[in-house]
Amino acid sequence: MSAPRALAAAGTAAPRLAAVLLGAACVAWTAVPPRHTGLATLALVASIIAVVTGALRLALADVPQPEEGFFPTAPVRAWLTFLAVLRGLPWEEIAVVALLWLEVQHPVRPWHTAALGFGLVAYLLAVHIAESGAPAGRLLRRQAKVLLAGACLLALGAGFAMLPAAAPGAGSALLRVLAAAAVVAAAALVLPGRD
Amino acid sequence: MAGPVQQVEVRWRPSRHARRLLTLALAALLLATLTRRPELVGVAAPALLLLGAALPGRAGRPGRPARLAVRVGLASSRLYEGELAAVDLAVDDTRFDTRWLFEAGRGVEPASATAANGAAARFEFTVPRWGSRQLGSATLVLHDPWRLTEGRAQLVLPAVDCYPEPAVERTRVVLSRLPNRLGEHAARVPGEGTEFAGVREYVPGDRQRAINWPASTRLGRLQVNTFAAERSQDIVLVVDATSDVGPPGTSALDLGLRGAAGAARAYLDGRDRVGVICYQWGGARWLAPSLGRRQFYKIIDTMLSADAGWGRGETFSRLPRAALPPGALVVVFSPLLDQRFVETLRDMRERGFGLFVVDVLNTVPPPRRTFSDAMTRRIWQMEQQAIRFSLRELGVPVVHWDGAAPLDLPLAPYARRPLVVHR
Repeated sequence: MSAPRALAAAGTAAPRLAAVLLGAACVAWTAVPPRHTGLATLALVASIIAVVTGALRLALADVPQPEEGFFPTAPVRAWLTFLAVLRGLPWEEIAVVALLWLEVQHPVRPWHTAALGFGLVAYLLAVHIAESGAPAGRLLRRQAKVLLAGACLLALGAGFAMLPAAAPGAGSALLRVLAAAAVVAAAALVLPGRD
Repeated sequence: MAGPVQQVEVRWRPSRHARRLLTLALAALLLATLTRRPELVGVAAPALLLLGAALPGRAGRPGRPARLAVRVGLASSRLYEGELAAVDLAVDDTRFDTRWLFEAGRGVEPASATAANGAAARFEFTVPRWGSRQLGSATLVLHDPWRLTEGRAQLVLPAVDCYPEPAVERTRVVLSRLPNRLGEHAARVPGEGTEFAGVREYVPGDRQRAINWPASTRLGRLQVNTFAAERSQDIVLVVDATSDVGPPGTSALDLGLRGAAGAARAYLDGRDRVGVICYQWGGARWLAPSLGRRQFYKIIDTMLSADAGWGRGETFSRLPRAALPPGALVVVFSPLLDQRFVETLRDMRERGFGLFVVDVLNTVPPPRRTFSDAMTRRIWQMEQQAIRFSLRELGVPVVHWDGAAPLDLPLAPYARRPLVVHR
């Protein structure tokens, strides 16, 4: 393989590999320590399947769809169905929901959850860069300020969770959630949308 | 490369990235509310900030044009089988991150990556088999700087004409009797050519520079050199499009068209007048013999429009008279499977045309185990041999060409000396 082609192949493969690694890291981060309740196991299996299938989708992104013939053979039909399922379902969304569900199966651990949040955003960004071929450096430079503000809010959310409740009961916990949501909404509205 | 400008309609919608961020934010907020865990609101925060920062009306967000001007340029609208060609795409609006996706049409194979980023892109492709092909379509994907809004526009790319790759042919079969027209083939009659024909006695009026001094000194009388006249011939290529058997790419019609294209090029290079007849169901498409490079492309265009479908229309046994000038050499490319076509060849031979058949049949019925199938196969093979034998008996040379070797190889025994046609 010539040097420019090798460089081009590496340029395409690196974001895909990053997306796969980030997805796997999110799954591992959320799964530890293992929970053996029914819903936790289901969420773990769903997240693993979604991350693996999402990785397969990225890996097979350059494989062209075979031309439809009049009488496709069974392997061709199976391959077409596989590609349709792979490319049709929103695997990353399924992974995100399953991971969040798995996280709430664990006892409260604010900093752990905050790190998962950052990992999920990084995973989604990596998937987008891998599938769209967007220049990663330029994209991250543009969004650096917002991501930094998001990281601060993540920390703030974790901090809210660590505050002792003003009064015992469910109402106090809900109040803290609403307060955190208000801070996030205010930040989203105030933050200037410049490049 | 500059090309014609197309105005394309752009459809805007949230990108997949935006939808994923929204899913993350909504799921985190819902779970935060249900489980009363504020740290999950923090998980939603980066996604919400990104979505909020890209809200319409914010500074730095370009407007969303409903239409865009796109330039489409083809390196060539005509190409040969397997030849590398390219289509250039460019968009004038550079405010967005642009991505091009190329979807090749049926019968077109991409030869480069099918996706490219940037305001301009070049996609290479090849067409493995002759014919008029739709190049396919290209999708223009526009992203705003935040990659949260996505505009898509679909372009239908132009069609290309793929010509059959001409067979390699350098030698030419030449008739012994040539029409009285200036050309490049040495005729048997004396004339003003450059090929030495013999020596004769000087007669008044002969050119002084034609005197052969050694012969004159030896014989004691003035002798002059004589030269062969140089004539051109009329060639009519007949392509049998009634039967297309064999695997696509090396079928009888593929070989017929490639062989005819190679022969047309070889004879036109020799300043012969070349015409073509495509024998097909329901009639013939033909082009009267003529000279020149342009005639080559006209011949191929005529061949490409031949219908090799299975629809059986009315047939005819006599080829059009205007397409067959008297004294022409008729070079036939056929698998000789259709009996009516064979009868047409016999009729032409009886009318006195010099015929030359290139047999392009390279496939046989598959062998079967049953006795009756094997017998049928054997009878079919004998029938094919009989057809070829009967043509040879009529004085029509039949040579077999497999499509892989140069056409010179089967023609070699007939290209060494002029082909004598008994009328």
